[in-house]
Amino acid sequence: MRSPGRFSAEAKGRHGRGGTWVLPLFLLSPALALLLGVVAYPICRAVWLSFHHFEILRPDLSQFVGLDHYRDLLTDPVLRIALANSGLWVAGVVCFQFLGGLIGALILNQRFPGRAAIRGLALIPWATPSVLVALMWTWMLDGNYGLVNDLLVKAKILSRFQPWLAQPWSALPGVILADVWQGVPFFAVMLLAALQAIPEDLFEAARIDGASPGRVLRHVTLPLLLPTILLTVMLRVIWTANYMDLIMIMTGGGPGYSSLTVPLYAYYTAYKRLDFGSGATIAIVQVLVLAAVMVFYLRQLRKNEVMVQ
Amino acid sequence: MPAPRRFRICCLVVAALAVLFVPGGFTPLHAQTPTVVHYWLWLDDPTAPMFDSLVKEFNASHPGIKVEYQLVPLSEYHDKVVTALAAGSGPDAGRFKDWWLGEFVKLNALEPLTPLIGKWPGRAEIIENLWETGKIMSSGPVFMLPHQFITFYLYYRKDWFAAAGLKPPTTFDDFLVAAKKLTDPTKNQYGFGLRGGAGGQDQWLAFFSAAGGRLVDGQGKVILNNEQGVKANQWYIDLFRTLKVAPPSAPTDAYAQCLGAFQAGTTAMFAHHVGSSVMVTQKPGADSVGVVPIPAADPKKPATMVTMAGNVVFAGSKQKEAAFTFISWLSEANATDKWSSSREGQLPSVKSVSKLPRYTNNPFFKVSLDSANFAIAWPPLPGVGYVSAQGWQANMQRALVGQISSKDMLDEIARALQR
Repeated sequence: MRSPGRFSAEAKGRHGRGGTWVLPLFLLSPALALLLGVVAYPICRAVWLSFHHFEILRPDLSQFVGLDHYRDLLTDPVLRIALANSGLWVAGVVCFQFLGGLIGALILNQRFPGRAAIRGLALIPWATPSVLVALMWTWMLDGNYGLVNDLLVKAKILSRFQPWLAQPWSALPGVILADVWQGVPFFAVMLLAALQAIPEDLFEAARIDGASPGRVLRHVTLPLLLPTILLTVMLRVIWTANYMDLIMIMTGGGPGYSSLTVPLYAYYTAYKRLDFGSGATIAIVQVLVLAAVMVFYLRQLRKNEVMVQ
Repeated sequence: MPAPRRFRICCLVVAALAVLFVPGGFTPLHAQTPTVVHYWLWLDDPTAPMFDSLVKEFNASHPGIKVEYQLVPLSEYHDKVVTALAAGSGPDAGRFKDWWLGEFVKLNALEPLTPLIGKWPGRAEIIENLWETGKIMSSGPVFMLPHQFITFYLYYRKDWFAAAGLKPPTTFDDFLVAAKKLTDPTKNQYGFGLRGGAGGQDQWLAFFSAAGGRLVDGQGKVILNNEQGVKANQWYIDLFRTLKVAPPSAPTDAYAQCLGAFQAGTTAMFAHHVGSSVMVTQKPGADSVGVVPIPAADPKKPATMVTMAGNVVFAGSKQKEAAFTFISWLSEANATDKWSSSREGQLPSVKSVSKLPRYTNNPFFKVSLDSANFAIAWPPLPGVGYVSAQGWQANMQRALVGQISSKDMLDEIARALQR
């Protein structure tokens, strides 16, 4: 607990003598400059771009176009497809990564021979570079001689090879599968760390009281994991919504627009069509949608906390 | 250390630094500093040693110029050049595709080379009609110096054709008969490796032109979505949609998948250019692979596509003359021959080199060079860069999976070309 004397001295420093801000501000200035340069400036620049027609090699020809780019996007059918794909992509990836991670964490939390080695090996997908994951899964899902097709045909689940990444209905699920494989270890490690922080006494008490393993999971494990789950899901939703490496390499957003997501659409518009104004507008739309989802999520989170208390 | 000795060492260090850094103070050393030319390029195989040895040879024979080069993958090349030029950190010169010419000239990013070409002795050696690939208008200046070009032809499995009693296809009718006969999905075998994925626009343009479609008319007006174009495009789409002579993966198959399928015996025919000739002779093997020009709907009107990978000097360069010295050296007989005969080999733009026996006796080079007489290039329109990078692929795939019609696809591409 703070002593009253110290509190009053701090208050005096904050409100009474403006000079005491100089040194902290000076010490913080490198970090502040860095933040302004790498976070604030690009955001402001993107907002500025969204109101301009920008010629990248002839900035002198750039024109203020007001809300034209936003108006165009309202009637853009490709953006609607990309938004729907983004929703499916984020929901599919995060749900399956969470489920896989939870199961993985519960297994890795058990005592069995070679546990330490398996815990280490389980991290390999997470440590594999995205480009490598994309290329590996592209060839595994290849429609002519991919491993996945070969296994499914040999197991008599399929009668002939399927072009997983070349069919509109299976292209996005194919990419989701690759990202789930890569991201499961992240959830598993986070949840495992949280699991290990739960005192063993609680499990023991529940078991002595006659709780079945299912009831222990439901009434002891999951409530105590909830803060970690909520935080990890939030982080993962943001990362997945912005993540486009896998899709770009595996399908390029195709066939057609079947696996085109919003960040990939923004990238193509800016860098392939050289329409930086529209590209920035699409990126801002993505930020606004994501911010709305996060605000809703955090509100739910706070409600849950109140209910728990 | 005694003080006088320390003083002498300090004096020596100061003198050494002065020699190195005082501008103009020591003219002989300063005068020897060569002009540095920054050059960017892509190579299909970045590990190929050919280009590095060419740069070393140039630097050794031109003491006043030092070329420093950077390799950029073709898929990223356009974006990286644009952003680097915008940031003022672009190269002085670079390898360049005719796809991007219209877009970059519109943005005043390329230096007109005609005055420098006028002083270049090697200009008479360039195959005459290839100069057109570096211009926006026939009467206008040259922006891209011709270097290596490709024309599309058709590989076919000689052994499969012989076993099935088929003749090498020269017409669309021959092609369809062979493609149908050699398609057997139960054996995962298909007649033709259609490329609907990245880079497939060149293969498409070869067949689209051979089917009678044209991108622009004589006045440069975009006409690809006229009746003839829609019909030509429908023929190509039907290879996958109705005739099903292409693998089910065709909508997203890119070069690696198409080459891999041909090598693995999944496809009987595959359209590409001399850049893959070494690989197909390794597998499935020289005895199993034949090559013919792209078959034509009307044998009297053959057509294919040609694309030039030339060299440009960027307008923002401060070393334009030195940069031109390097790119023009690349287009002279010695360097062209070394490039064309390497595993990066494409067709030489130099007359004397194209007549060398190593090219005229090579069936792949011969068919390619013969095809150059009736080959059609992408027009130098500002939208070609976007169409070749993404616009064609997205719309072709939508047409292949039945989401849009042939006409809708061509309307979209026409709009993008005229942007």
